[in-house]
Amino acid sequence: MLENVRYFIRRALRNMRQWPVLCTAAILTMAVALATVATFFLVVINIQGLASSWSEEVQVVAYFQQPPSRNTLAPLIRKVEKFPEVKQAIYVSKTEALKRFKTRLGNDAGLLEGVSRDLLPASLEVTLKPAARNRDGVTRVVSRLKEDARFNDLRFGQEWLERFENFVNLLKFVGLLLGGFFLFAALFIVSNTIKLTLYARRDELEIMALVGATKRFIQIPFLLEGALQGLISGLLALGFLGLSFKLLVQKSLKSFWLAPVGFDPVFLATNQQFVLVCCGVLLGLLGSLFSLRKFVRL
Amino acid sequence: MIQLFNVTKSYGRESVALREMTVHVEKGEFVYVTGPSGAGKTTFLSMLYGATKPTRGQILINGTNITRMTGRQIPYLRRKIGVVFQDFKLLSSRTVYENVAFALEAQGKKRYEVSKKVYQALKEVGLEHRLQRRPIELSGGEQQRIAIARALVVDPLILLADEPSGNLDQEVTYEIMELFKHAHARGTTVLLATHDHSLYKRFPKRVLGLEDGRLIMDHQP
Repeated sequence: MLENVRYFIRRALRNMRQWPVLCTAAILTMAVALATVATFFLVVINIQGLASSWSEEVQVVAYFQQPPSRNTLAPLIRKVEKFPEVKQAIYVSKTEALKRFKTRLGNDAGLLEGVSRDLLPASLEVTLKPAARNRDGVTRVVSRLKEDARFNDLRFGQEWLERFENFVNLLKFVGLLLGGFFLFAALFIVSNTIKLTLYARRDELEIMALVGATKRFIQIPFLLEGALQGLISGLLALGFLGLSFKLLVQKSLKSFWLAPVGFDPVFLATNQQFVLVCCGVLLGLLGSLFSLRKFVRL
Repeated sequence: MIQLFNVTKSYGRESVALREMTVHVEKGEFVYVTGPSGAGKTTFLSMLYGATKPTRGQILINGTNITRMTGRQIPYLRRKIGVVFQDFKLLSSRTVYENVAFALEAQGKKRYEVSKKVYQALKEVGLEHRLQRRPIELSGGEQQRIAIARALVVDPLILLADEPSGNLDQEVTYEIMELFKHAHARGTTVLLATHDHSLYKRFPKRVLGLEDGRLIMDHQP
C-alpha cells in the first residue's frame, strides 16, 4: 500500500518534470482563472462592505410636538430601544438641533444670530440594527412610532431608502450573474487546457492500458498531478492577488477622489484564502477526472 | 490456448472486418496470420487482447470467455498477453529502462523485482547497454527490440505481434524473428501478423490466411 502511494507520488512528480511546458500551461491557466474569480469576489465583498457602511445612514427621526419632560423622556427612550429593529435612540433637544444646524452652516452660521432658540423642534434619532436597515424594518418602526401622539412628524428618507435597496438588489443580481459567468468561463478554460495536456499524452494512456494497467492505476497519478498543479495555482493566485492588493489597490484607492472617507478596502480573510487554495486543488482534481474519462477507456 | 467460435466483427452494415471465423491455437504454438491489407489481421489480433469486442461469436483465452469480460477484467487479461506493434508504441519522453519497467509497474510489481526483470529482458534483446537512452536516439530495429522486451518482461502466455517488421529492413527483421523464436522456445504461444511471404518461407510455421475477413487457409508446414 505504502509502496503504491510512494510510486504514485513519484510518477506524478516525474510526469510534471517530463512535461514542463504542459504542466506550466495548466498551472498558469488555473492560476489566472482562480485569480479572476477571486478578484471578482474581492470586489463584491468590498462593495458590500461599502454598501453596509452606507446603510448606517438609514435611521428614523421622530419630531416631538412638544419637547418631553425629563420624567417622560427616559421611559420613552427605553420603550423605543425595546423595539426589535432598534439599535439606539438618541434625544436631540431644540438647543442641540440648533447647534448642529449652526455647525453645518459653517461660515454662514452668523445668519442664525438673533433667531429664537425654539426654531427647530426636538427629536428622537432612532438608529436601526443592521438586519433592519431596509424598507420593511423602517416601516415597522415608523408604524409603531406613529402610534405615539407625542410625535407629529416622522422622517426616514423614503426615496433614498428605496434607491439604496434597488442598488443593493442590482448589486446582488450583477454579482451573481458575473460571478456565475466567471466561474463557468474558468471551469471551461481549465477543463479544456487539461484536456489538451492529456491529449498530448494520450499515447502514454493508451500504452498503460495496453500493458494491463487498471483504470485506477492509470488515473491516480494524473489526479495527483492535477491536484498538485491546482495547489500551486491556488498559491500563485493568492500571492498575485495579495501583492496586487497591497501595491495597487490600497495605495491607489487612498488617492482616488471617489473613494468614500474612512473606507478601508479589505482583503480575503484567512478562511477565504484557504478556500481559494482548496478551490485550486479541487479544480485540478475535477478537471483531470473529467478529462481522463474521455481518454482512459478500457 | 486460443479458441474462436464463429467470430464476426462488423463496423456498421457495410463494413465487415471478420466473418464467421473459427480457429483453435494450441498452447505453445507459433502461428503466422497473413493476408493483404484490410484482410482483418489487425482486427483479429486486437480482439484477442480485448481492444475490440466481436459483434457475434465467442473467444476463449486459456479457457476464459473474454467476450463476456467487463472493462474491469480486461487489464487482467492483458497481463497474460504481450503485444508488439509495427509503430513500436514506445514513450518518447521515457528512457529505455522506464519503457520496459512500465509494463511491470502497471502490474504493481515491487521495485527491486522490476529492476531485476527489466535488466534481464533488455539483456535478452541485446540492449542492456542502452538503459538510459531515449527511444528516439535508437534505430528502428533497436526500438522494436525494446517493444519486444516490454512485451516479454511480464512472462506472457501469449505474444501477439502486428506487422512487427513492417518498418524494418530484411536483416533487422530476421534478428527480430530470432527473438520471437526464442520466446516460442520458452513455451510462449506466438501469433504474428504479417504480409511478408519471405518470413514464413524462411521460418516455416503454421499459417492462417485471411482475405476479406474470411479464413481462407490454415496451413501446417
